[in-house]
Amino acid sequence: MAKLVGKCLCGAVEFSFSAERIDHPSVCHCGQCRRWSGHQWASLNVPKADFAFIRGEDKVAWFDSSDVARRGFCSACGTSLFWDGHGIELEKGKLSVALGALEPPTGLRLEEHIFVADKGDYYDIADGLPQRRR
Amino acid sequence: MQTDKGPAKKLSGKCMCGAVAFEFRADREDVTACHCGQCRSWSGHQWASLNAPFESLAIKIGDDALGWYRSSDYARRGFCRECGSSLFWHADKLDDYKHRIAIAAASIEHDAPMKLAEHIFVADKGHYYEITDDLPKKDQY
Repeated sequence: MAKLVGKCLCGAVEFSFSAERIDHPSVCHCGQCRRWSGHQWASLNVPKADFAFIRGEDKVAWFDSSDVARRGFCSACGTSLFWDGHGIELEKGKLSVALGALEPPTGLRLEEHIFVADKGDYYDIADGLPQRRR
Repeated sequence: MQTDKGPAKKLSGKCMCGAVAFEFRADREDVTACHCGQCRSWSGHQWASLNAPFESLAIKIGDDALGWYRSSDYARRGFCRECGSSLFWHADKLDDYKHRIAIAAASIEHDAPMKLAEHIFVADKGHYYEITDDLPKKDQY
């Protein structure tokens, strides 16, 4: 079973997960993801049961970005790593993991753009992938 | 290199949670998307910035919430310790660049006079996406 590995910029946080049940590699253009990343945040969904930290779980700081979700980042370097919709029935079994943190090769391809209704006014989306308003 | 253009204008920005808020003088309008491995890791996908005079940057709220990570011998990256927002890249050890600072485009107020104008370090871009717009693309910077 293929494993994917990821880490933050400074390497304090490292993790791995099975590629067997991942889904939905996508770019999010919501206001929160844009401010958090500095431009655009991209992620895929991993069942929490398939995910494990290799090191630095205690270096992950969690920010409650809403009543139903939290965002995990490296407290040492600020890398934007995880979105956890723990209060959303359809999302709480999964963890969204930043694509930028993953070690290549992953074999992944972006599939779509989401929350494009909230995209920044300083750029356009031109790659031809499906765009969802929410 | 971008050219300075447009009138200098005071702009404001903040992190996702609002713990860090700042103002700066914008003397450029060109936003740069960086595809280097460091920016891709740090942001989670792509980091884009507006380059501004370092001396004009004033942290209005949350100086103590702003963390700096030394990402190379010559540069540091500023982020919010409360929410993790990726805010600043500053080549503080390079005499030719330390008077400028790169400010995350998404942290800057809506309707700011700026536009994505180029992609840099495209030789290091992620394998899982393509750059398909017609903006200039540079292998380095």
